[in-house]
Amino acid sequence: MKILRMAWRNLWRNGRRTLVTVGAMTLALWAMVLYTSLMQGMLGSMESTLLDVELGEIQIHADGYLERPSIWERIEEPDALLEALDETGLRSSARLLGGALVASGDASTGALLKGLRPERDARVSDVYERLDRGEWLDPADPEGVVLGYRLARTLGIDVGDELIALSQATDGSMANDLFRVRGVLQSLSEETDRATVFLVEDQFRSFFALEDGAHQVIVRSGEGQTLDAAGEMAQEAAASSAPGAEVKSWRDLLPGLANVFDSAQAAVQVVAFVVYVVIAIMILNAMLMAVFERIREFGVLKAIGVSPRRVLALILTEGALQAALAIAIGLVASVPALWFVTTRGIDVGQLGGTAIMGVSMDRIWTGAVSPATIAGPVFILLFIVGLAVLFPAFKAARISPIEAIHHQ
Amino acid sequence: MGDGAVIALRDVTKVYRQGSVDIHALRGLSMEVQPGEFTAVCGPSGSGKTTMLNLIGALDAATSGSIVLEGRELGSLNKKELSELRRDRIGFVFQAYNLMPVLTAYENAEMVLWVQGVDAASRRERVMGLLEQVGLKGMEDRRPSELSGGQQQRVAIARAIASNPAVVLADEPTANVDSETAETLLGLMEELNREQGVTFLFSTHDPQVMERARRVVRLVDGNIASDERR
Repeated sequence: MKILRMAWRNLWRNGRRTLVTVGAMTLALWAMVLYTSLMQGMLGSMESTLLDVELGEIQIHADGYLERPSIWERIEEPDALLEALDETGLRSSARLLGGALVASGDASTGALLKGLRPERDARVSDVYERLDRGEWLDPADPEGVVLGYRLARTLGIDVGDELIALSQATDGSMANDLFRVRGVLQSLSEETDRATVFLVEDQFRSFFALEDGAHQVIVRSGEGQTLDAAGEMAQEAAASSAPGAEVKSWRDLLPGLANVFDSAQAAVQVVAFVVYVVIAIMILNAMLMAVFERIREFGVLKAIGVSPRRVLALILTEGALQAALAIAIGLVASVPALWFVTTRGIDVGQLGGTAIMGVSMDRIWTGAVSPATIAGPVFILLFIVGLAVLFPAFKAARISPIEAIHHQ
Repeated sequence: MGDGAVIALRDVTKVYRQGSVDIHALRGLSMEVQPGEFTAVCGPSGSGKTTMLNLIGALDAATSGSIVLEGRELGSLNKKELSELRRDRIGFVFQAYNLMPVLTAYENAEMVLWVQGVDAASRRERVMGLLEQVGLKGMEDRRPSELSGGQQQRVAIARAIASNPAVVLADEPTANVDSETAETLLGLMEELNREQGVTFLFSTHDPQVMERARRVVRLVDGNIASDERR
């Protein structure tokens, strides 16, 4: 108690220095909390785009499809597989994939047509919610298609315009058809934005003369279920209903991106550490000054029998009090900032769509708040302050009383 | 060492090395201090007064010879034991008072008792009595900056005797105060010596202190030139 009282009073012997030190710690903590929140928000949003809209946690393809995608390589009885997956409690939907030349007027480009059953697909993908304009697919409007926003721009078409598609059907005939654009998607990923056309399953089958099978089954894990557990369940379902099918998690499909997500969290900590090291130098300087100014006092304390441990505790307490003040003020100051970034967010639309490894960020960059948003920056701050204060504290504790008392 | 001596020094030398030069601060000094003595150690600057007090106070180690405090040879004690010895058996009064500026008069005076682990109630009883005794009743809550030099030195005296030490070592205790205040401080220390048997050992230049001391040890060039008991 006496140490706490002494430490507190010592801090205010040079109030300006203490305020500057606490201010720097506060600012660093505030900035790091905000940065952590924005990074978590960005990663969360990208993961959501990646899993909720594009990939799903698990995908099942016919053996060999991933190595050499082809309209002929398909799961023979997708409905049996979907039924088996339903029985496990996993949500799933089948998609048909086929390449085509799409054109409008003089403009043409290659595209991937994705055929799906809108009602069933909504169980595994939120893509229907990510329209920039127009409407999502409707089986009642089989000629209506939805395409990526860059593809629409390339072809110079918009909602209501016609789209011509050409390809080779599975029966060897020339596949060609006239579609009408029902909707244009927001920026989702490089592939979807640039070269994807969604259409209803029946229209896909008709276009490619493909009577049965599916190229891809997207599977979503249950709430709180690990990727491995969901993978095992999907594997079991596939083994009985689609022997030979390949079951892959999104991490297997996009290992590079999985690494980006894994390392991004570590990167947040590294940035925090670097910012705090700058603060640590400031704290070290301030505490060294505070110790050198009081060398005689430490000498007297040692002379009258105060143990080195207590002197050490005194300096550490001074550091801890400053950190505690910074944490209290920093966290209070973080509340409105976190409120802003989580509810309003930052409009990054004018950046023209930001993407990392092909996965787009939302137009509005919002933050996320979890215990880690606060705990990470706070623990790193405490660790750094502890490190910065240790040297002056040991210096004070090890001081020779005779030299200190006669220190000028 | 004579029976019952609080302090006994035998052939104590202290050599400081300054660059390539050895400075002999003490040259085979021997003396004893008996309980209840009121001793002034005087001598010109550089005669070894402060060095002697530092050695007796276990703040520094002798180059050779032996220093025994209440039967304990200081040279045989480790740092922790020396620290505990200073805490429990030695009181210090410094020339520059050396109070903790962030603590009140009361908190400064109770410091040693707190370090000893004495409970708050006992500390309060002892320290309030001491502050009254040194004439600082009503000034318990004042910080050193709110006290005069003489009052600060009274707090330092209260701090020094709070733990009933075997000896109070006072290094030029009146050097920073005017003669009137010095007279009052000496009167206070004499009273504590007479009424409570506190043993005082001063280093001083001050003729007032030498006049009031009942024993005056004069050092010249690191050794005792005279030792006069009155």
